[in-house]
Amino acid sequence: MGKSLKQRESTLGWMLILPSTVIILSLILYPIVSNVISSLFKVSLVEKDTFIGLENYRNVVSDINFWKAALITFVYVVATTLGTALVGLGVALAMNRQFPLRGFIRSLILLPYVAPVFSVVYAWKFIFDPVNGIFMDLTVEKLGIFSQRFNLIGNPDTALWIAIVFSIWKYFPFTYLMILSRLQAIDNNLYEAAEVDGASRWQQFRYITLPELYFILGSIVLLRVIWNFNKFEDIYLLTDNLKVLSIYTYFKAFVGIIDLGQGSALVIIQFALLLVFILIYLKKVLKW
Amino acid sequence: MVKSGGVSRKIGFAFLILLIVLFSVFPFIQALSTSLKYQWDWGNPSLIPTQINLEAYKELLNIGQEEKSVPESVKNLLDESDLTKAQRDEILAKYKETGDVFPFLKYFRNSLALSTTGALLSVVLAIMGAYSFSRLRYRGRGLIQRGVLFVYMIGGILLLIPLYRIAVAMGLLATPVGTFLALLIIYLVQTLPVSLYLLGNFFRSIPYSIEEAALIDGLARHKIIWRIVIPLSWSAIVTVFIYAFMIAWNEYLFASVFLKSYDQLYTLPMGLRALFYSKNAIWDRIMAGSMLTATPVIILFMAIQKNLTGGLSEGGVKG
Repeated sequence: MGKSLKQRESTLGWMLILPSTVIILSLILYPIVSNVISSLFKVSLVEKDTFIGLENYRNVVSDINFWKAALITFVYVVATTLGTALVGLGVALAMNRQFPLRGFIRSLILLPYVAPVFSVVYAWKFIFDPVNGIFMDLTVEKLGIFSQRFNLIGNPDTALWIAIVFSIWKYFPFTYLMILSRLQAIDNNLYEAAEVDGASRWQQFRYITLPELYFILGSIVLLRVIWNFNKFEDIYLLTDNLKVLSIYTYFKAFVGIIDLGQGSALVIIQFALLLVFILIYLKKVLKW
Repeated sequence: MVKSGGVSRKIGFAFLILLIVLFSVFPFIQALSTSLKYQWDWGNPSLIPTQINLEAYKELLNIGQEEKSVPESVKNLLDESDLTKAQRDEILAKYKETGDVFPFLKYFRNSLALSTTGALLSVVLAIMGAYSFSRLRYRGRGLIQRGVLFVYMIGGILLLIPLYRIAVAMGLLATPVGTFLALLIIYLVQTLPVSLYLLGNFFRSIPYSIEEAALIDGLARHKIIWRIVIPLSWSAIVTVFIYAFMIAWNEYLFASVFLKSYDQLYTLPMGLRALFYSKNAIWDRIMAGSMLTATPVIILFMAIQKNLTGGLSEGGVKG
C-alpha cells in the first residue's frame, strides 16, 4: 500500500471515466475519422473500396442539386433561428409580467418543445391537409385569400415555410426559457433609476434590457444554428420532399442509388461549413 | 416594472397571452379532436366532434379487436350452435390472425425497451464518469471535460454513415438481436455526453465538505459514491434518466436506417410513419397514435420540470 492518496485518486478517476471515454472515442471520434477516410474512396458494402482521391468532393460540388440544398438550408437556418429568437424574446417579455394563472400558462407553453417530434408532425400535416385541414378551410372558404384548396406541404417551395413555422413553434419555448431566466436576474433598481430619469418604456428596453440580454441571445443563436443546421427528423417527417442538406445527404447515402462515399464527402462538407461558422461567430459575436 | 396602464392596454395584453397559448396548444387540440372524430366529420373545421368515436384508440390499444375481423355469418352460426367455449375460441382464433390490426402495442414495447435500457446504461456510466471529472484530480481531466462538450455539438446525421458502415462490417445488422444491440449502443452514445454534462454540473453543486468528513472517517471512495453522492443526487439522476429516455424515445434517423429490414423491431416513430403511408383514411388512428405517444413523455416531463428547467437555463438541453 505504498501508493499515496493522490495516486489512488488519479487511478480511480481514470477507472470511472474509462468506460465513457472508450464509448465516446470508439463511437463518435473514430467514426468521424473513418468518415474523412471513406470520403476519399469509392465505397461499396460488398467489394473492396477503391481510392479515388477528391473525386467524391468534385461530384458533390458539380451537382446543381447540392447548391439548391445548400440554399434551402441557408434560408431554413436563418429564418428558424431569427424566428425562434424573436418569438422567444417576445414571449419571455410577456411572461415576465404579472398576470393571473401565470405559473400554469408558463408550463402550458412548454408543450411544443416537450412533445416528441414524431407525435406532433402529423397534427401539423392534418392542419395543412388540402382536403380536411382547417388552414385551407379558413383561407379558401372563410377568408377567400386563395381561390382553391391546394397542398401546401406537398410543394417544396411552400413546404419550406411550413417547416420554418413548425420549427419556430417547436423551439420557441427553449429560447423563451433561457431568456426568461436571464430577465429575472436583471437588477430592478436599473429600471427604477431609469424611470426617475424619465426614460420611456422603449428606452428602458433598448438601453437596459437588450444589453443585459446580449450574451444569452448570442448563445441562443449559436445553439439554434448548430442544431437547426443538422436537423433531420423535423423536416423529413413533416414534409418528405424538402431537401435541406441533411436530407439530401440521407437520400444520397441510403435511398435509391446508394453512394456512401459521396454521402461521406457531403457530411464532411457540412461539418466544415458549420465549424467555420462557429469559429467566426465565437470570435465576432461572443467575443471569445 | 409594470405600471398599470389603461383598460385597453390590459385587454391587449390579455389578447397577446391568449394568442401565445393558442399558438402553443392548437396542434395538440387538433390532434385530440381528430382522434375522436368519425371519418365523415374530419373536414368539419369545428374542434368539437359531432359524435365521439373511440374506435381509433380501441384499434391501437387492441381492445375488442378479436370480434371485428370475424364475418357476421360466422358470428351468427357460432351464436346459434351449441359448441363448448373452447371450440368456439378455436374457431375465432382462426380469424384473429388474418385481421390487419396495426401492431401499435408491439412498437410501443420496442420503443420502451430500447429507451429504458439505453437511458439506464447511460445514467450508470454517467454517474461514474461525472463523479470522476467533477471530484477527482488527475491528468487529462480538463481534456475529457471539454471533449464531452464538443461531442455534444455533433449532430446525428454526421455519425449516421460511419456508424452504419461499422455495424454492417461487424455483421450486427444480419440478425434482429444484433440490430437491436447496435441501436441500443447508438442510443447510449447519443445520450451519454449530455448525461455526463448535466450530472457533472450537479455533482459540483454538492458541498464537498460532506464527502470530506466521510473520507476522514476512512470511508472508501466507491462507498462514498454509493452511500452519499447517489442518495444526495437522486432527483438529478432521475431527471437525467428521463431526459436520456426522451432522446431515445424521439429518435428516428438511426432507427429508419438500421431497422429498415426488420419491421417486427420498429420503434414508434417508424411505426407511426409506416401507418401513415400504409393505408388511406387513417387520420383518426394517426392522431390517436400521436396522442398516445406524446402523453407519457409530457407526463414524465411535468414530473421533472422543476429540475430540468434549471438545466435548461444553463443551456444544457439539446433539441
